This record gives sequence, C-alpha cells and structure tokens, in this order.
Amino acid sequence: MFDLIREIGQTMRNNKLRTALTGFAVAWGIFMLIILLGMSRGVYNNFTSFASADNSNSLGIWGGWTGKPYKGYKEGRPIRLEETDLQSVEHHNPDNVSSAQGSVVLDSAQISTNRDYVSDPIYGRYPDEVRYAKLKMAYGRFLNQPDLDHRRKVVVLSRANAKILFGDESKAVGQYVKAMSLAWQVIGVYDHDWEKGSYVPFTTAMMLNGNDGRLSEMMVRIKNVHNTEEGTQVEQAVRHTLAANHEFAPDDTGAVHIWNRFNNYLTNMEATNILNVAIWIIGLLTMLSGIVGVSNIMFVSVRERTHEIGIRRAIGAKPRNILIQIVTESVAITTLFGYIGIVCGTIVTGTVAKLTEGTDFLKNPTVNLSIAIQVTIVLIIAGAFAGLFPAIKATKVKPVEALRDE
Amino acid sequence: MIIELKDVNKTYPGAVPLHVLKGINLNIDRGELVSIMGASGSGKSTLLNIIGILDNYDSGQYILDGVEIKNLSENRAAELRNRMIGFVFQSFNLINYKNAVENVALPLFYQGISRKKRNMLAMEQLERMGLADRAHHLPSEMSGGQKQRVAIARALITNPSLILADEPTGALDSKTSKDVMEVFRQLNADGMTIVIVTHDPGVGQQTNRIIRISDGIITPDNV
Repeated sequence: MFDLIREIGQTMRNNKLRTALTGFAVAWGIFMLIILLGMSRGVYNNFTSFASADNSNSLGIWGGWTGKPYKGYKEGRPIRLEETDLQSVEHHNPDNVSSAQGSVVLDSAQISTNRDYVSDPIYGRYPDEVRYAKLKMAYGRFLNQPDLDHRRKVVVLSRANAKILFGDESKAVGQYVKAMSLAWQVIGVYDHDWEKGSYVPFTTAMMLNGNDGRLSEMMVRIKNVHNTEEGTQVEQAVRHTLAANHEFAPDDTGAVHIWNRFNNYLTNMEATNILNVAIWIIGLLTMLSGIVGVSNIMFVSVRERTHEIGIRRAIGAKPRNILIQIVTESVAITTLFGYIGIVCGTIVTGTVAKLTEGTDFLKNPTVNLSIAIQVTIVLIIAGAFAGLFPAIKATKVKPVEALRDE
Repeated sequence: MIIELKDVNKTYPGAVPLHVLKGINLNIDRGELVSIMGASGSGKSTLLNIIGILDNYDSGQYILDGVEIKNLSENRAAELRNRMIGFVFQSFNLINYKNAVENVALPLFYQGISRKKRNMLAMEQLERMGLADRAHHLPSEMSGGQKQRVAIARALITNPSLILADEPTGALDSKTSKDVMEVFRQLNADGMTIVIVTHDPGVGQQTNRIIRISDGIITPDNV
C-alpha cells in the first residue's frame, strides 16, 4: 500500500500541470457540492428549529364557531374548550392520546418591577412544557408538579425579560415581580431562540382567569401514529369527542380548530427531504464535470505513458497491477483535491453561517461530519469511476510496446 | 537446454497476411552467449518477441527452461517474463522519474517483495555493476553506459534463466559498447545464458555463436 502511494506521488510530481488542472476541476465540483449542501442544511435547520420536533406529535386545538345547525342549535354558536374536555379526550381515545393538557394565554398581561415592565404573553402551562417548547434553563428551575398542585404564584422568565426587569438576569431567581395585581416569585430564567413569554403554573392561571374552566388552547399529545392517515384519524377521533361534549356536528370543522402538528411535521420533513435529494443531484451533476475531467486527463496520461506501461508489462506487471495503479492514482487525485474543495467549502459555509447568524433565512448552514463522510465516499467512488475506463485501456497496452522506440 | 524452438511459425494478419517466421528451429543451451543477427525485416524482432514471451506464435513449439510456452494467459505470461527473462533494451527503457535503485527493484515490486528487501537486493546488483555511487540518481543524470548497466542490473535482479538483449549497444558509442559487451561476457563467464539480438557484426563477433536469420528462416551457416 505504501509502495502504491509512493508510485502515485512520483507520477503526480512527474505530471504537475496535469495534476493541477485535474485537481482544480475536482476541487471546484466538491466545493460547489459542499456549498449547496451547506445551504440546504441551513434551510433544513431553519425548518426544524421552527417546527420544534419535540412538539411534532401533538394536536393544537382552539375553540371556534359552529358552521352548521345541529341538534336544534343554530349555526354561529361559539364553542369554548373547558377543563373537563381534557379528561374526556384522554378517556375516549386511550390508544392514541397520551395526554391532553390545557393552556391559558394571557396576552395583554404586564409584568413589572419597580425598575421596568414587560408585556409579553403569560402562559399557564405544565412542567413538561420545558421539554416540548425546547426551553433551556439558564438559572433556577422550571415549573414542577407541586407548583401546579398548590397553585403557587411562581413565574419563569425569559433571559431578555429578566434582564429588563432586574438589570442582571442572574439575580432574578428568588425575587418578586408584579402581574395582574399579584406578587409572583421568579423561580427560573430560560434561554430560547425567539420565545420571550413568561410561564406560570396552568392551575394558577386558570384561577386567575376567573376560574370558569375555559382554556385558551388544548394540547393533545398523540402516540402510536406513524403516517398522515393515522394522524388524520386521531384528529377526527378527538373532534368526535369534542363534538359529543359540546353538541356540534362531528364534521363541522369550524367548531373547533385543530392544528395537526404531526401531519404538518411529516409534510415539512418530506419537503426538506426532497430539497436534500435535489441538492445532492445538482451537486453530483456539478461534480460530474470534474469527474469527466479526471477521466479525460487519465486517458491522456495513459496515452502518454504507453511506453512506460509497456516496460512495466515486459518486466512482469500483470494487467491487474496496471489497472490498480491507474485506478488508485485517479482515486488519490480525486480524493486529495476533493478534500481541498471540502476545506474551502467548509470555510465559505462557516463564513456564511457567521454572516447570517440570527436571520430568518438560514440557520447554521454548515456541513456536519456525516455529510463529510458521505462526500468522501462519493469522492472515492467518483475517482474509481473516473479512473476505470482509462485503466481498462491501459491494461490493453501490449508488452511489445516496450521495444518500440520513443 | 534453455531454449527449444521447433518449427515455429508466425503470420501477422492483415489485408495481405505477412508470414514472418517460416518454421524456426533453434536450440540454445544453458550458459551460452549467442547473438541472433539479421537484416531489418528478416523476422529477427518477431523471433525476439516470441522468445521473450512478449508475443504469441501460430504453430510449432517453444520450450523455455522446461516450460512450454503456448497460449498463455496475460497473467501467466507476465509471471514467466518476470521470473525467467531479464530484458535489456536498446533505449534502456528505464522509468525516467525513478532513480537507479527504484528502477532496478521494479521487477521485485511485481513479485510483492517488501520495499526494504528489494532495495537491498537492487543495491547488490548495482554494486555488481559498479554503480553503487549512482544509486539515487535519476536516469537523466546518468550517461548512456551507466543507464545500460542499470538496465542490466534490473534484468539480473530476479535471477532469470536468460538475459534477452535487444540491440543493447545500438544507442551507445563504440567505447561504451565495448564496456557493455564486456559486462555481458563477464556475466556469461559466471554462467548466465545470454541472447543478444543485433544487426551489428562487431557485437556478433564477441559472442560465442551467431544465429543468422533471413527471410523468416535460420540460415545454417553457424560458426
């Protein structure tokens, strides 16, 4: 193996211009492939960041207005989800619903300290929201079950708001804020890309809202669903339960609005996968020109070296030895310059990542290790492929060529 | 007997088929120093190709050191060339980007011998040719005589049954030609069988037997 590398090194040094030209074609192809893949990763990361994958197997449900008369009721009747709907949805769909949670959103609430105030929404939520909403706790803790059980007046703030309210977000935990004429103790501060709202226990928020049992939103976590058909079935089953509870027509889609995040997620994933495949195809076609270049130049090289190959054959090289030499040479040239392309591409995507940081267009448009490995495999296959036909031609060189004078 | 040719025929196909060898009968014993002489177009080169297993023949029989050479696969032919025949060419045929040691060691590369061992063996052969100090020079940095001695070292390295030389002095001046012939005579004195194909009578004179070929037939005026 080491011998083979030395042989390749020698022939490459012996044909500097050829090597450089081939190298440029390959490096350029790979460079473009990396750039394209990086951009597609950026778009993909952007999707998944907003789709928040952990929320993907859930339905979001809001009350609406009935669209048709039913059981003696006229259309145009408002439907308001209630706390009792949570248990009944869980109870009637045990196979596909793992939990149903309510949520209260106080949109116009103000939170203030004697320093400043903020007016982002206040969410009444459950302890597991920290996971679903992908919040990262910076200081303190998130809501827990005792908070809900005892309807504690505690609040979790975003880092930005904690900074506004207390000047120094690290000092916020343990202090008090004022909201809706009540004092709330800050128990934690979280980090998130764009969420800025404050979190309070769901039970406490229900109490504040006048405790009429009405929910702003219902979140149904679903399980045992694998495709959009099953997703739609669960959606319909939940709608039936709610229709029975509130006496509206089961096919009245306006009575409750259901956002099927699961199906949405699958559709998004499909779109990003198609994008990914398209990028690979475009990238590979770009690379193809590089590969044709390598192949072409290997052909020229085989022709130039006919005499040398003849000598090697005369002194005992088997056709297989010649084949391996030419193919390995091609793979080595392709891989070496391909890597130069990868490095340049990585530098450029890294720079783009820096420049587009925080924009809505791309998120982290860089290639990861698995893509680098995939591209390496592509390089090796491409190099072998580019070298194969010239190599087969080289094996056809007769040893008698050695006797021919140059 | 090292070489035994019986009624060997060879025709090059074409619009007008060319019957080049018309029944060659030739025996060469172990330890001989023989020259094959003939004018251009006499079939001399074709005979060399067949003896060197570089080309096939149509009919007859060729036995090289006890091995029948007939309808060999490319691989088998390469293997036999590698182990049984040491080639010396008119234009030296060294690989120009490899230094002397690497050129001499190349046949052993195709035997799968480790780099360290083959370079050691190559150095031995170069010392034998008095070129130890040129071991790391490229062919372009050597004189014609030195290049031909490197080529002879390469021919010897696999310890072959015979050395087959094609116009070995064709590209050399008379003084250097003499030196190279002296090398061949010395090798022959050590027991090596050597066949030299040439059209130079001076070279032929220095061998022990001259085989003349004319119009595809061996002429029976052996010395």
